[in-house]
Amino acid sequence: MATHNAQLELKKTSFISLNRIAVIAGHTFTQLVRMKVFYFLVAFVILIWATKQIIFPNETGGSGSPEQELRLLKSTGFAAMNIFSLLLALASTALLIPKDIEDRTLYTILCKPVPRLDYLLGKLAGVLLLILVSLFVMDLILSLFLHQKLSGMIAIHTEQLAARGIPKEAIQEYLARYEAHGVTANIHYATLTIFLKAMVIASIALLISTFSSSTLFTIIATLVILIIGLIVADAREYVINMAAIGQESKLVSTALAISILFPDLQFLSIEDGVIDGRTVPFSIMRQILIIALLYVATYVVLSWFAFRKKEF
Amino acid sequence: MSDNPKNKSTNTTHYAVEINNLVKTYSSSFKRKKFKAVDNVSLNISPGEVYGLIGPNGSGKSTTMKALLGLISPTSGHCKIFGCDSKRIDARSEIGFLPENPYFYKHQTAAETLKFYGKLCGIKSKALNERVDELLELVSLNHARNRRLAGYSKGMLQRVGLAQALIQNPQLVILDEPTAGVDPIGSREIRDLIFKLKEDGVTIFLCSHLLEQVQEVCDRVGIIFEGTLVNEGTLEQLTAIQNQQEIIIENADQGLLESISEIIQKHSSSGAKLISSNKPKSSLETLFINTAKSRQK
Repeated sequence: MATHNAQLELKKTSFISLNRIAVIAGHTFTQLVRMKVFYFLVAFVILIWATKQIIFPNETGGSGSPEQELRLLKSTGFAAMNIFSLLLALASTALLIPKDIEDRTLYTILCKPVPRLDYLLGKLAGVLLLILVSLFVMDLILSLFLHQKLSGMIAIHTEQLAARGIPKEAIQEYLARYEAHGVTANIHYATLTIFLKAMVIASIALLISTFSSSTLFTIIATLVILIIGLIVADAREYVINMAAIGQESKLVSTALAISILFPDLQFLSIEDGVIDGRTVPFSIMRQILIIALLYVATYVVLSWFAFRKKEF
Repeated sequence: MSDNPKNKSTNTTHYAVEINNLVKTYSSSFKRKKFKAVDNVSLNISPGEVYGLIGPNGSGKSTTMKALLGLISPTSGHCKIFGCDSKRIDARSEIGFLPENPYFYKHQTAAETLKFYGKLCGIKSKALNERVDELLELVSLNHARNRRLAGYSKGMLQRVGLAQALIQNPQLVILDEPTAGVDPIGSREIRDLIFKLKEDGVTIFLCSHLLEQVQEVCDRVGIIFEGTLVNEGTLEQLTAIQNQQEIIIENADQGLLESISEIIQKHSSSGAKLISSNKPKSSLETLFINTAKSRQK
């Protein structure tokens, strides 16, 4: 039997390491990219291109609203961005941890000096990086097509109005209202809020996947929370209105109290305003950013509590 | 690598692995029935020792390993690695673990896989590249280093698993069925690697169903059955038949053998008797390897 002549000085492992998180995030990003998830960008380009081709009758000299085409392009773009980013957030996050457990790759990672918080944050960061890159590309595509569409419309309308003998200043004034629907900072703000919603959904899926044993359950439970998140503001308003007219029920009030646990996704949505051509104040963006980060931080902390003692 | 394990020693003493009165109980979700997977297991492994834990399926080997790796929390008792509680992350800086039938990320190549694990251990890029080259050479996978793991055979995956376990030059290597799914030549290579690690002073904790393999490489063996460590000791203690002696003679003619037999008969009054006299046999594994090697030539 060997003698006990040696004790190793075990290396101290920091509680959290940005380097380790970056390694896991980079790996998760590569894993998802190699699953060919970026193919949906092709579908996005086709969708936006097809929408750009739609011309309403008023465009060719009718009396309707020419901004409708720009609204349609924006609303299609934002809807597709919402769907793609939420699907990516939901499916990727729900799939990754259970797959690591099932394949036992998690054993080989956690047997290295990797704190479980680093693992969770790395996985989440990898998914969010993928969504961020996807949304950045989609934002570029939407902006490009929107710019092309607007430029084309302005050229046609300038020509048509000039042919009617309308003065240049009046034409400029008339076309200025189109430009509110063009590529402004508001488009990018809307993209940012879509990313923030995807962040919240990904962190919810992460939380559920830490205690769920099935990917299907994680996806369904997160979808339910997503739906609740989309209607929770309306439900809250309804209860408040009922209470105001003295028709308050204990059950509904309790449900309202519980609803605090769910994210208010309506609050994080500014796309409707941007589609209407309204300007988004910076103060609103700041509020949305803070609320979204608070949601994400809460769900990540809860995930860590559920995961740190989990047995494999 | 610069951090040679032999340079890390200090003057204080600790076991490489220390498991004290380990109990792990699982309860079923609905019936609330308790199941004791490991029952009061205690064992110590000294630095540089090769220890084999053997037992049938479901005997508690994997649970003991998982407790040692911090993947599960003991119901009672504790596990220490070089004196550090195994639940602490620091304890894992010196562990290399190869799970049974390891799966890795199929989208990665062998080199990428090793780099990923190396980065997790904080190895810097130049040292990491050198270490990856060294390990791929060691496990004979250099020719397939840039091929995705999706196209690897079970044996090749096992070798990648072994390489990742050794990436940070750990002082304790835990191997769960290291030769599962590996062909006899690969199995021999893994066994040689275990001997090499032992020579380098690395402690090895091995779980295997292949008793012959355990017997060949281990200094000490523990037998676990239904969660309890029922027997433990050196191979000499556990396997030697104390009242028998084996003599192997080379080039002995019939006359010499008869003389030996007569001498033994003369001492029959003291209870000595010849039990058997055979030609020693080579193992089937040796026969296979020699045949394979001659075919390769």
